[in-house]
Amino acid sequence: MGLEIMDEVRRDYTYNLVRRGKREDGRDFQDYREIKVEKGIIKRAEGSARVKIGNTEVLVGVKLEPGEPFPDSPDKGVIITNAELVPLASPEFEPGPPNEDSVQLARVVDRGIRGSEAIDLSKLCIEEGEKVWIVFIDIHVLDNDGNLVDAAALGAIASLLDIHIPAERYGLSGKGEDMIPMQDKPVAVTMVDIGGEILVDPNYNEERAAVSGLTVISNTDGTLSGIQKYGREGLEEDKVSEMVDIGIEKADELRRKFL
Amino acid sequence: MIQEGVKKMKEEGIELIKDGKRLDGRGFDELRPIKIEVGVLKRADGSCYFELGDNKVIAAVYGPREMHPRHAQDAKMAVLKYRYNMAPFSVDERKRPGPDRRSVEISKVSREALEPVIIKEFYPKTEIDVYVEILQSDAGTRTAGINAASIALADAGIPMKDLVSSVAVGKIDGEVVLDLNAVEDNYGEADMPIAMIARRNTITALQMDGRMTKDEFEKGLKLAMNACQQIYELQRTALIERYSEM
Amino acid sequence: MKRMYKVVIPGDFISEDVNRAGEGTYIEEGKVYAMRYGVVDDKDEIKVVPFVGKYQPAKGDVVIGRITEISFPYWIVDIASPYEARLHMSEVTSGGKKRVEFGSMHTYLDIDDLIVAKVTNTDALMRIDLGLMEDFQLGGGGRLITIPHTKVPRIIGRKGSMIRMLKEKCNCFIFVAKNGRIWIKGKEEDMNLASEVILMIAHEAHTSGLTDRVADFLNSYRRIGDTGRG
Repeated sequence: MGLEIMDEVRRDYTYNLVRRGKREDGRDFQDYREIKVEKGIIKRAEGSARVKIGNTEVLVGVKLEPGEPFPDSPDKGVIITNAELVPLASPEFEPGPPNEDSVQLARVVDRGIRGSEAIDLSKLCIEEGEKVWIVFIDIHVLDNDGNLVDAAALGAIASLLDIHIPAERYGLSGKGEDMIPMQDKPVAVTMVDIGGEILVDPNYNEERAAVSGLTVISNTDGTLSGIQKYGREGLEEDKVSEMVDIGIEKADELRRKFL
Repeated sequence: MIQEGVKKMKEEGIELIKDGKRLDGRGFDELRPIKIEVGVLKRADGSCYFELGDNKVIAAVYGPREMHPRHAQDAKMAVLKYRYNMAPFSVDERKRPGPDRRSVEISKVSREALEPVIIKEFYPKTEIDVYVEILQSDAGTRTAGINAASIALADAGIPMKDLVSSVAVGKIDGEVVLDLNAVEDNYGEADMPIAMIARRNTITALQMDGRMTKDEFEKGLKLAMNACQQIYELQRTALIERYSEM
Repeated sequence: MKRMYKVVIPGDFISEDVNRAGEGTYIEEGKVYAMRYGVVDDKDEIKVVPFVGKYQPAKGDVVIGRITEISFPYWIVDIASPYEARLHMSEVTSGGKKRVEFGSMHTYLDIDDLIVAKVTNTDALMRIDLGLMEDFQLGGGGRLITIPHTKVPRIIGRKGSMIRMLKEKCNCFIFVAKNGRIWIKGKEEDMNLASEVILMIAHEAHTSGLTDRVADFLNSYRRIGDTGRG
């Protein structure tokens, strides 16, 4: 019961701040918190990145393995995205099988990569119908202070850039590409609606205080490759439009600075 | 997967649009035929059978009923639960029974699509269970599920502000169209399921998968909103007619 | 005078007379909307009577409950509501004159027993307390029918007209509780008739001319000895 009351107090506080045009950490409504992206920190992974957005911290590791293609695309590589909300990241995360939040996180990040064709899967074929490269993207959330999606998506793309395909390890040297062939850099931008105002990059308190949110994933040319709405309330159509515009704009900023 | 579909389609010579009409003869803004039956299950508190083209779904509502485990109860309001499940025989390649990641995500998004209209404060400490079973699938199952669930919730006497209506739009052969069937979904370039409170133009669920420009997105949104109005009328008629005949 | 009952669904606009907005409706921007799927009753207040719904206990209601659990010093009682009710053991000992021993509660009331009780208290935590009515025990030889509690007013009828007619023509003891549970007791064939009529009323509760139709049905019903019903 104690935790609940605290929640409500914090929610009201956040809401009231927004009504006065302010955010807890003094940011403008459309500003991101400080972002840090560190690449290549996990030696055993083919690609990795540690992303911090404010206090939120996500580690993404990418590993490649040869495996079977899907039957309906025998000459294309495979992407498998998974997310773990490990218990150490938040008092609310419990050990156990993936819950709906971690499933949604993984699927939204995956959707953005797939929709944009960021990875040219046709160049990851080893032997048509038999063997292709499987790209495992594993998202490990280490600290949840809100907006896991943007951090995870940024980490995923950052990990994927500059990846050497581990051909030698599997005795497949000389067959095909050296590096994972990347064609685009999709970026996810998450916004929430609090009291009618649109806030970009919600922290944990803002996520709880929000009525609804939207993640917009867009590409280098400004096209969209993923949208997902969350939350227990509805969003007006013009709010959605506005959020999509902001999403495309902010994605550009993040792409230039970090990818 | 989506763009590969387009290339494969061209290789196989499948044209999704020919002479301005789609493979099944529909125009760009046409819904598939819809059939609705209210109150089809005896044991459930509310239920609805819904057909959208070749999709056949059934939604059942139980509750409000006491929530267990007790520690998960909300002292101030009812907790809504939603389970989307596909029967093993609903798709071409048999689907293994049990929840998979796709069903888990759809269940969450669908629940959030309905929460805005349910007046949960009326029944604190209870749970309202919505079960949606997909008996036959032809793309658009989650939208059919939400439409059916809305009706089933009303049928169960749950206090609500309004109904929720849902439809998907997509992009095929570069055109933005309404209500994709399975072939179009398979070979199309984008898929965007939407749910809304038709009367208020409020969007309660929105997902986009694939690639679209901002303009295409706006066009799709408008198409979907108009279609939801139509679907709303059908939902309403089904509910009213159930008690108007004897 | 025949009355046409208007069927509404949640979100339907009903009226702009917000001062008369009652149960089953909500107000938004100066208009009254339906909150439930049911029929509009705007005789005094503007109400929407739902077709079905879970019974929400209110203080003073007389209900029929079923014992589901013994949890000293309470019996836990199912009253066809999303919430369980509890009956304190002192209720069986006329104000606690005699103490009920731990482990002997079942000798007074056991699991699955049916009781007639009054809701003595409900609180914000949805705890519901019951008190026993006199002649609280519903014993053998009778039948329990359950209908949606929303139909109970139709079974009673205006000023009790419907229930009186039923009792007379069916020759049964009929007790209608607020939570939609109805206890009938009489000869087998009389109880059959009563059951059928009650279910008919519940099924057609939203229509007009019901009282006349029920009267016709009862009058034309053939008793045992004839070759079945028409």
